[in-house]
Amino acid sequence: MSVLAATALDDVGSAAQRPRRSLNGWSIALFIYATAFYLFLYGPIAIIVLLSFNNSEVTGLPFRGATTHWYEVVFARPDLMSALFNSIALGFISAAIATAMAFFLGLSFRRDYVGQQLVLGLVLLPIILPGILGGIVLLIFFGYLGIRPGLYTTVLVAHVNWVLPFAFLTLNGRLQGLDRAVEEAAMDLGARTHQVMLRVVLPIIRPALVATLLFSFSLSFDEFIRTLFVMGYDRTVPVVLWSAIVDRLAPELPAMAVITILISTAGSLCGFAFAARASKRQA
Amino acid sequence: MANPPTKEMPAAIQLDTATPISVSVRNVYKTFDTTPALKDIALDIRRGEFFSLLGPSGCGKTTLLRSIGGFETPTSGTILIDGKDVGGIPPYGRPTNMIFQQLALFPHLDVYENVAFGLRVQKKPKEQIDGRVKGALALVRLEGYERRMPSQLSGGQRQRVAMARALVNEPSVLLLDEPLGSLDLQLRLQMHEELRRLQRTLGNTFVFVTHDQGEAMSMSDRIAVMNGGVIVQLGTPEDIYERPQSRFVAQFVGHTNLFDGKVIRIEGSRVTVESDGISLAATTPTPVELGQAVTVVVRYERLGLGAGDTTLRGNVAERMFLGGTVRVVMALSGGRLVTADIASTAATGLPAIGEPVALTFNASDSRVLVA
Ligand SMILES: Nc1ncnc2c1ncn2[C@@H]1O[C@H](COP(=O)(O)OP(=O)(O)OP(=O)(O)O)[C@@H](O)[C@H]1O
Ligand SMILES: [Mg+2]
Repeated sequence: MSVLAATALDDVGSAAQRPRRSLNGWSIALFIYATAFYLFLYGPIAIIVLLSFNNSEVTGLPFRGATTHWYEVVFARPDLMSALFNSIALGFISAAIATAMAFFLGLSFRRDYVGQQLVLGLVLLPIILPGILGGIVLLIFFGYLGIRPGLYTTVLVAHVNWVLPFAFLTLNGRLQGLDRAVEEAAMDLGARTHQVMLRVVLPIIRPALVATLLFSFSLSFDEFIRTLFVMGYDRTVPVVLWSAIVDRLAPELPAMAVITILISTAGSLCGFAFAARASKRQA
Repeated sequence: MANPPTKEMPAAIQLDTATPISVSVRNVYKTFDTTPALKDIALDIRRGEFFSLLGPSGCGKTTLLRSIGGFETPTSGTILIDGKDVGGIPPYGRPTNMIFQQLALFPHLDVYENVAFGLRVQKKPKEQIDGRVKGALALVRLEGYERRMPSQLSGGQRQRVAMARALVNEPSVLLLDEPLGSLDLQLRLQMHEELRRLQRTLGNTFVFVTHDQGEAMSMSDRIAVMNGGVIVQLGTPEDIYERPQSRFVAQFVGHTNLFDGKVIRIEGSRVTVESDGISLAATTPTPVELGQAVTVVVRYERLGLGAGDTTLRGNVAERMFLGGTVRVVMALSGGRLVTADIASTAATGLPAIGEPVALTFNASDSRVLVA
């Protein structure tokens, strides 16, 4: 016993010493790399935030004093506001549809059936298909069917199509990890199939469901390329942002960007929080 | 259902006709894809009996239990519970409750709600639910833990929640699938007593699955020993231990020395068997003939150092102190090993390793196995 404990301690000791020995070489390089990484990742975002408060008609530096004027401009523009509303509404609807579809797909994957691999491949395909190709394919598809472009028709389908594989990947792990014995126990105690679903399965996976909804929302909110191909009159935030750059150098652009970033990161962060709760519950 | 099974039915011999039959399994077969998991299982379990299914891993214990609970459909054969054919009835329609090997508590519900689950889905009145849940928690001595989540409980406490959750529904038959597997020895022994106490208090039928022969011995009224999807012997713990009917049972239940040999002398039920040039005195439960090939079974603890009908001589190859007993492994001159468990108090004069030793046993303590 004591011998075992001593060897265990030795192991800990040597493990603690290893990084100290190589502190000079590798870790300095790693430190520089990490610094550069975060600088490139968050630097532009920081600059955008800074510029959104810049009291200047021209987008760019130098910084001429702080103002919230551009936020007022954004909130005063009806086309921007309606785009924001469109994006949020579309985000929630496509998230709800994709999550529901992911849930039932995941349930079906708990049993083996013929063609399962094919279904999985088809569900995951949009991830590997380049966005521009996906957009073109959808455009041709809707053209053939004679469906007029519209926010809650073509764009919604495009978004669900794009979001579903991610929703599936988020939710499926949780569903497959669900102990079948727990469901059997419920049934053994007298629960019918629907009671097992409502009283056991759904409550247990609820955090994972919420996480999936939020991730899906963020993905839909940010989607641009496919939307561009299939949209009608009603625009989403990314499309409006893009046309603002193309048409003219709009000074309110940074403020719009910051609002977009806030909404989509808020969605993802809440998603992560729920995902963490979900995995804690699983343990 | 009306026509009695034609095949041999070991349980039928044991049955006390006064006690009604709780679970009757009749000629049940179960095949998964191509793997036969149960082959012609037939047994009757009496009401209020503590019945164990004992056997090595993969012998079909869980499959049989799940078939009774309604989680597996037998490929053929019938199962009756309280006299009613339960074929086609799903788990929620059977008067059984199961305690799963992994316990399968509801992770999102606290102790109280876990126990109340069965009553809630059956839409029992509120005040009745509260009374029964409290009663069940008192029964397993978990008062005061109502608001704990399963993750905040010790293994033994979880175990008792699973018990309360099943018992609160007052099942006619309680099915237990190795529920004590994850507990340490101390806790297991404690739970053994608790289970026995519960079963005596409630009087319902317990069908208990285990691969631990000690566990089965200490708790059961009767045991069915299974191997390879077949019931190889059915009887009281004493029957199984004292009168194993096959090599498998002799070896699986308790520690056993086996000697293969030929019958060289018969005096009533007492016979002498010659095995590798050694003469062994033994008792035979069934008539044997001279020259018949048989196996002599001698349990470790039936060998001693004093005088006996048979004396085996060799050298001590190994000795292990086991607490109450000392285990001695003796090598015969031919190299064959014989093991004996000697009471520690009697083991003072035991020779050291390598020294010659004589182990003895009486004919009444060794049994002849035919086949
Ligand atoms: N769902 C299944 N599909 C295919 N084969 C199965 C299935 N369930 C059990 N088996 C097989 O049936 C046989 C009996 O399994 P069972 O689970 O009843 O054994 P057991 O006696 O409970 O073993 P253990 O002590 O390890 O729990 C095994 O060979 C097993 O591989
Ligand atoms: Mg098992």
